[in-house]
Amino acid sequence: MDEEPLDLIKDVLDNQLVDLHGRRMGKADGIIIELRKDGPPRVAYIEVGGPTLAARLHPRIGKWATSLAKRFGVGAEAYRIPWSKLKSVGIDIVVLVDAEKTPVLAFEQWLREHVVSRIPGGKT
Amino acid sequence: MSDREEDKKAGGTREVHLELLVGKAVRDPNDKRVGLIEEVLAEEQHGEWVVKEYLIGAAALLERLSAWPVGRGILGLIRKKEYPGYRVPWDKLDLSDPGRPRLTCAVEELEKFAPR
Amino acid sequence: MKKALSIALGILTSIGGFLDVGAIATAAQAGAAFGFQLIWALLLGTLCVIFLVEMSGRLAAVSGHTLADAVRERFGFRFYFLQYVIEIIVDFLVLGAEIGGVCIALQLVTGISFQWWALPVAFVLWLLLWKGTFGLIENGVALLGLVTLVFVVAVVMLKPDWPAVMSGALPSLSRHDTAHYLFIAVSIIGALVSPYLFFFYSSGAVEEKWDKSYIGPNRAIAVIGMGFGSVVSLGVLITSAIVLFPKGIQVESYDQAALALVAPLGFLGFVLFAVSLGITCFGAAMEVGLDQAFITAQAFGWNWSESQKPAKEARFSLIYTVMIFLSALLMVAGIDPLQLTLFTMALTATILPVVIVPFLVLMNDEKYVGKFRNGIISNTVVVLIIGLAFVLAVVAIPLEVLGGS
Repeated sequence: MDEEPLDLIKDVLDNQLVDLHGRRMGKADGIIIELRKDGPPRVAYIEVGGPTLAARLHPRIGKWATSLAKRFGVGAEAYRIPWSKLKSVGIDIVVLVDAEKTPVLAFEQWLREHVVSRIPGGKT
Repeated sequence: MSDREEDKKAGGTREVHLELLVGKAVRDPNDKRVGLIEEVLAEEQHGEWVVKEYLIGAAALLERLSAWPVGRGILGLIRKKEYPGYRVPWDKLDLSDPGRPRLTCAVEELEKFAPR
Repeated sequence: MKKALSIALGILTSIGGFLDVGAIATAAQAGAAFGFQLIWALLLGTLCVIFLVEMSGRLAAVSGHTLADAVRERFGFRFYFLQYVIEIIVDFLVLGAEIGGVCIALQLVTGISFQWWALPVAFVLWLLLWKGTFGLIENGVALLGLVTLVFVVAVVMLKPDWPAVMSGALPSLSRHDTAHYLFIAVSIIGALVSPYLFFFYSSGAVEEKWDKSYIGPNRAIAVIGMGFGSVVSLGVLITSAIVLFPKGIQVESYDQAALALVAPLGFLGFVLFAVSLGITCFGAAMEVGLDQAFITAQAFGWNWSESQKPAKEARFSLIYTVMIFLSALLMVAGIDPLQLTLFTMALTATILPVVIVPFLVLMNDEKYVGKFRNGIISNTVVVLIIGLAFVLAVVAIPLEVLGGS
């Protein structure tokens, strides 16, 4: 990435995330920084997921979504992508992750296997 | 959010959700409102990305939304000079309670921010 | 050569996007109830939609963003979510009205009540989208849509009093029934300036990987496509004004609207009316159904595409499947398609500011559209027309609801 300062809200938050195969894998729903005693806050993660979005609508909706997600388990909970996995920030944010192997696509995969492929014409 | 629980996990470091910080009012040491956080600038330092400064105030919002040209372009709705905005260096903002961000210096010490 | 083809297809499909149940129903109502007097509303709506379609294509060509992507990115999730919920509700009603239009066309031809057609029509719609042949079908429907030229033919045959037609191009207040007059004016603008069109059009442009070389063609598509659609809508309005207005026939159902073509063309006119209605509504229904899936997928960053296999985009496919079914239920429940259409179109006028204002901000943002940003004329025209439509809608809808029932 380049030397210019990056506008985290304008240019990163809410942008499309694309994995290393060019697969869309959600949006940058949240950005987490770590405060440190001895230096500037570190930009740590990008977060993807329903609970993160819900918290942005209202703290109470956020809490409700977080507890709901815990019950559904993997895939419903927010997923964190370490900042170091970012390859580039442009129209889309390219991250060095394989989306199909992350929980971000768990629901998509479940739908694919249990619903879509059972309807005629749904298979590849 | 369960910010506090996450703190304990991280041990020593505290986590702050930037998406929830946006729009929060910043107060000065005398508890006077200075403006809302609208933008966070990051830069690369020794191979890691760190927060450089926070932009606060209506000017920062208008900059983020790039609303100047439309406002001017349509009816002259927005007049340029009247909107306050400040650059807050990372070490001048106390985020120990992310719900109530606080300046650690006087407003007068901050660099003014004016949109393009 | 490939570009020429894609421009031709773009024009065809944008005609399809322009002409839908709302355009036909509101124009027929306007002509029947107020003669040529509401032509100005149709012209204003057309002007506005030409500007806005051009903008959504330009946004996609220069920035590589769809409108929905850009709005969430720039205005954040909270604002996008508000816009999204409003848009989904309106799309749901519009899709119900479009499916209703197809059902009414089938009712006109077969005599079997529209309610019975709702689920079969929804099934065929869904099947075509599910099979992933949208591009093919869309072009087919667009070509068949040329049948709507019958309204222009009818106008020529009816030999209208052109000076009288022209006088309708200037806005004026009605001497009678002012509330209903304003309501229809608002419905016309709402029908033409459909928000789904902009989300849909920009998605198509991004999917076809438009770049800056498409800025010129995009302008041509917007002007010619929307202009053509407008000519057909004018045809509907003028035929209704000549045939129905003098006899005092108010269009309270679609068979009355069909009478406008029966006078010049006889039974053939009746059939062509049904075919025109059926085809335009079917094409529009496909677009609205896909639009709901587009804006949902773009809200959350899922895969989306017009022509992928459902397995590649399970969530996307699920959205249109559910939404088409839900909208069809409006018709199964027996809600009058014409009333639903007029109400939905007027409602659309009230939500326009929420969609259009952020859109305009984006179109003035150098970061998105660079040196291709809006000029003062396009900003002003769109703001004035949207503002007018909004104010009229806020005034006219309560009056219509209170006085109409």
